[in-house]
Amino acid sequence: MKNSKPKSNNGWKHDFAINKSLYLLTVPIVVYFIIFCYVPMFGVVMAFQDYKPARGILGSRFVGFKNFAAFFGGPNFFTLLRNTFVINALGLFVGFPLTIIFALLLNEIRLKWFKKSVQTISYMPYFVSMVVIAGLIIEFCSTNGVVTNLAVKLFGIQRENLLQNPKYFWTINLLSDIWQGLGYGSIFFISAITAVPTEQYEAAAIDGAGRWKRCLHVTLPGIMPAIVTMLILRCGTMMSVGGDKILLLYNSSIYETADVISTNVQRMGIENMQYGYATAVGLFNSVVGTTLLVISNTLSKKATDIGIV
Amino acid sequence: MVEKLKPSRVVFNILNYSFMIVFAFLCIIPIWHVTMASLSNPRLLMSASGIIWKPLGEVTFDGYKLVLQTASVLKGYGNTIIYVVWNTVVGTLITVIAGYLVSRKSFKLKNPLMIFILFTMMFSGGLIPSYQVNRALGLINSRWALMIPGIINAFYITMMKSGFEQLPDSYEESAKLDGAGPMTIMFKILAPLVKANIAVIAMFTVVMHWNSWYPASIYLPAARDAWPLQLIMRELLIKNDTATVLIATGDASGVVNYTANLVKYCVVIVGTLPVLMAYPFAQKYFVTGVTLGGVKG
Repeated sequence: MKNSKPKSNNGWKHDFAINKSLYLLTVPIVVYFIIFCYVPMFGVVMAFQDYKPARGILGSRFVGFKNFAAFFGGPNFFTLLRNTFVINALGLFVGFPLTIIFALLLNEIRLKWFKKSVQTISYMPYFVSMVVIAGLIIEFCSTNGVVTNLAVKLFGIQRENLLQNPKYFWTINLLSDIWQGLGYGSIFFISAITAVPTEQYEAAAIDGAGRWKRCLHVTLPGIMPAIVTMLILRCGTMMSVGGDKILLLYNSSIYETADVISTNVQRMGIENMQYGYATAVGLFNSVVGTTLLVISNTLSKKATDIGIV
Repeated sequence: MVEKLKPSRVVFNILNYSFMIVFAFLCIIPIWHVTMASLSNPRLLMSASGIIWKPLGEVTFDGYKLVLQTASVLKGYGNTIIYVVWNTVVGTLITVIAGYLVSRKSFKLKNPLMIFILFTMMFSGGLIPSYQVNRALGLINSRWALMIPGIINAFYITMMKSGFEQLPDSYEESAKLDGAGPMTIMFKILAPLVKANIAVIAMFTVVMHWNSWYPASIYLPAARDAWPLQLIMRELLIKNDTATVLIATGDASGVVNYTANLVKYCVVIVGTLPVLMAYPFAQKYFVTGVTLGGVKG
């Protein structure tokens, strides 16, 4: 605080007088966040109501935990939970390490122009819209699609529309995620690698460490903070990501493996207009998400002293 | 450092380079396939299977001509441009202002405002409560549903904030002595110094809104006239509903069915090319953006 006046009402008045235009600019921003962020936060009471739009939040009947009971006791609860966790765990344990490995491999490439070109090309799929990506997946996985042809030849599976068979959805989703996100996901690690001090490499080289050893004992520890940060972020968003892609790809014959919590919220809430129920499911989803974020943050702080919150 | 390459190293290098080449090809092939298909003869395209490496039959631009005659696609294109321009211009402007406010050391609301904004990054009401708010505001099936909610991104505000905070106080103080008001200080003096941050935010906003389909699918279910291109593409590519979208071509439905497949590929190219063409030039901004915030998606 630059002004030396004691903090009091007077301080605020004085601040208002000299920063009048700043206060004025604050108003629309605060209004925006209240309407589109804070009001919906209070809207979660719908989860405890038999919400009828005509009666509004104030007029709708409270039903306690009925919506939650319907979700937890419903026939889909286990399936939804399993699908959400499996799809995200695959991304976390397969897709995520691959982006790090990709960054490390790129780092080993000495030809500047080659490295640059591969980077530019590999980031590209990320900028193609999800609708187009999903359209291509649908085309390639159809009965006569390229991917189907390949899978029939390589693995001897039966020829069919792969997106109609629940068996294949997790694989299709994972592989296409990797295809789309590998390059882009590696950017963060590539810049972290550049930040590792060269002296460390030189010292390791003097000690007789080969490239592999240097990668293992210098680069990897050097980018550990970046890895942990990303890991925490991914754990925190784990419950909410990927839903829009699944919405485009799935169909009723593969709900068994493709329906996740967020797609279920969308179907129940927007299409079937079961607002109370869908809000309850959404609330459950975000509570689990926040819990995961806190847990992963705490664990990482304990283990590595790195945290984001 | 010059080192003698060990044999194991040579093997590794060969494998590494090969992998990179293969992966780069995998990234290009789908886009190549669509481009070549969009230039193909529609009859041959109907019966084609596998990757289309070169245009089937004579190169033809008939598909693109049809796209240019399809009212729904053109309208979608126009709508997308409106949403992108509005959200980028207005959204970035508000973000700069908000970032400026929360970085003013001599502003008492600075910290409360920042906490107020950060809170929304951590907690949200979720889809249904947000939907109900927009509904109560009469935004369902209105263009404004894509132009007001979501226009400010809390995360971008934090990016702007750190940009402004890196500038020395002396700029602002000397401007104040010269009698400049906050607006002049912000837009004329400080904003040009954080151009890079602004560019990053604008780029992300452009791409995000260009590719966005989900909010439109939720909030504009019945307002086909206001649909962005991505929703039109969803009808064509995902729902395979070529009849409704292409009806405006005016021809007998037989003709439409016959060329529908070709038109699909052309629409994909028309809808994707602008971003892909601009992207190599904007690449450095995206890299900066990711590095600044560790954002994903």
